[in-house]
This record gives sequence, C-alpha cells and structure tokens, in this order.
Amino acid sequence: MDDSDEALMARIARGDERAFRTLASRHLAVMLGLARRILGNAADAEDVAQEAMLRVWTHAPRWQPLALFRTWLTRVVVNLCLDRKRRAPWVALEAAGEIVDPALGASEKTERDERERLVAAAIAELPARQRAAIVLTYGDGMSNAQVAEILDTSVSAVETLLVRGKQNLRRALDSVIDEDG
Amino acid sequence: MNKEQLPEFLEAALKRVTQAPPADAAAVERVLKRLAGPLPRQKMPLWRLPGVLLDWQFAPAWPRVAALACCAALGFVIGIAGVDRRFDGGGSPFAVASRTDIGSIVFEPEALTGARP
Repeated sequence: MDDSDEALMARIARGDERAFRTLASRHLAVMLGLARRILGNAADAEDVAQEAMLRVWTHAPRWQPLALFRTWLTRVVVNLCLDRKRRAPWVALEAAGEIVDPALGASEKTERDERERLVAAAIAELPARQRAAIVLTYGDGMSNAQVAEILDTSVSAVETLLVRGKQNLRRALDSVIDEDG
Repeated sequence: MNKEQLPEFLEAALKRVTQAPPADAAAVERVLKRLAGPLPRQKMPLWRLPGVLLDWQFAPAWPRVAALACCAALGFVIGIAGVDRRFDGGGSPFAVASRTDIGSIVFEPEALTGARP
C-alpha cells in the first residue's frame, strides 16, 4: 500500500482515522520542534502542533496536492504560531540541544555559549515574522522561495525579513562587541 | 570578537541556535494522546456536493408509492361522488330552499320604498 503523505491524505479525506494517526505520528515531532523554536515555549508548541494536526484532519477533504504536504503542514504550523499574539519566553539554549565542538577549550566553549545565549535572547525579541523567517532559513535550511511559500509572501519580502532580522540581531549584539573590544 | 567577525559569528550562531532540538518523545506522546479522542467533523468541499447528490438513492420505495396512490385515488373518488355529504345536509341546495326563514331573505321589502317584489 502506498503510504506517502499524499496517499495518506487521500485516505484521510475519505475519513480514514488510521491514516490520520500514521501521518500525525510521522510529522508531529518535527512540527513540535518548529513550533517550539518559533514560539519559544514548549506548552504553546504542543497546543499549536495539536491544532495543526486537527486541521490536517478537518481540511483533508478540501486539500489539493498543489504543494508538498510537508510544505503545507509547515505553513499551517507557522501561521498558527504567528497567530499567537502572546510572546512566550524563548526556549533555553541548553534545552535546544548542544553540539559539542571538540576543537574548543573549556573557556572558549563557555564564552561561545554565552554569546549564543545572547543571540538566542535577541532572536526572542525579534518580531514574529522575522523570527519565523530566520528559524525556517537557518534552522530548517529552507530556501527563500520555500520560506516565501510558507509565509505566504514573496521571495523579496523574505529577503527583507532576513536582512531586517539580522540587522536587529547585530544591533542587539553591538553592546557585547563594544564590551569585548 | 570585533565588528569584522560579527557577521561570520552571527551566521554560525544562527545555525546553531535555531537548529531543531532533539525530538521530545514525551511531548509527541502527549499530543498523540490528545489526538486519540473523537475527531471533529471534516469540512466537506463544495465541489463535492454534486457528487453527493448524484450518489443519493432516489429509487422510490414501491409499497409506499402504492399506498400513496391508493390514498390519492380514494380522495379523488370521495371528492367527485360527494359521499361524505348528506343529500339534505347543510351544503345541499334543496336544504337551503326548504328553510323556513328563506322568505325573509328573498321577499324582504326594499328599504326606501317598502315595495315588495
């Protein structure tokens, strides 16, 4: 049996709950991670992921395979995250997972961790759309065209979001640079 | 770190900071558990409506049609033959003509002249 996302969506459109649960368990972890990175709050991320999956179920009969299912689902999650007006605190860097660089010494690692914590805090202060564009581009490695499709905007608008986002981050980190000399 | 190093640092830091955290199995399990309950009704697209109507079973139930036809025929016969009315009943023209007070209606003097027909 074809168990591609699109085939499962066709079955879900006919009311197949088993197909829905298969699809949900396949994508839930990634969507939870994405929501958590955009919202910076685990509890809100769970709510968003649940809501997104319920939309998959309710909208399946209307869904048209014009784009990849994954792209469509990402768009649903990002839109739900942007809809959340409340700005939750950014997830702690420790919780985001650490990739240990064996080339660095202990003091260098501590220094780098501190700087990246500042970057994380600065990202948390960004406007929601800039934050979403940065997370999708840098975190998920998406192209500007893909991000534009998800954010329902043009490629140039995504480029603008990224440029402004990075300008804001640089501005936020300026004080640290001055202090470091 | 100086200003010249900032763009390079920022690119690397953004990739590290925004990367996907390891999948939280407990959180996934919690959401899946929430989704295990009864699911809401699916939204039916409008373009499917003609198909739904075409799928509808319009074949008549013949016993009911026969019963309806019998009732209709009986009603028609009763309506034509008038078997529901008495011959000298209230609606009969003979009954109207034989009423005692009919004269007061037919032979009433005119209001102005008092002339009788």
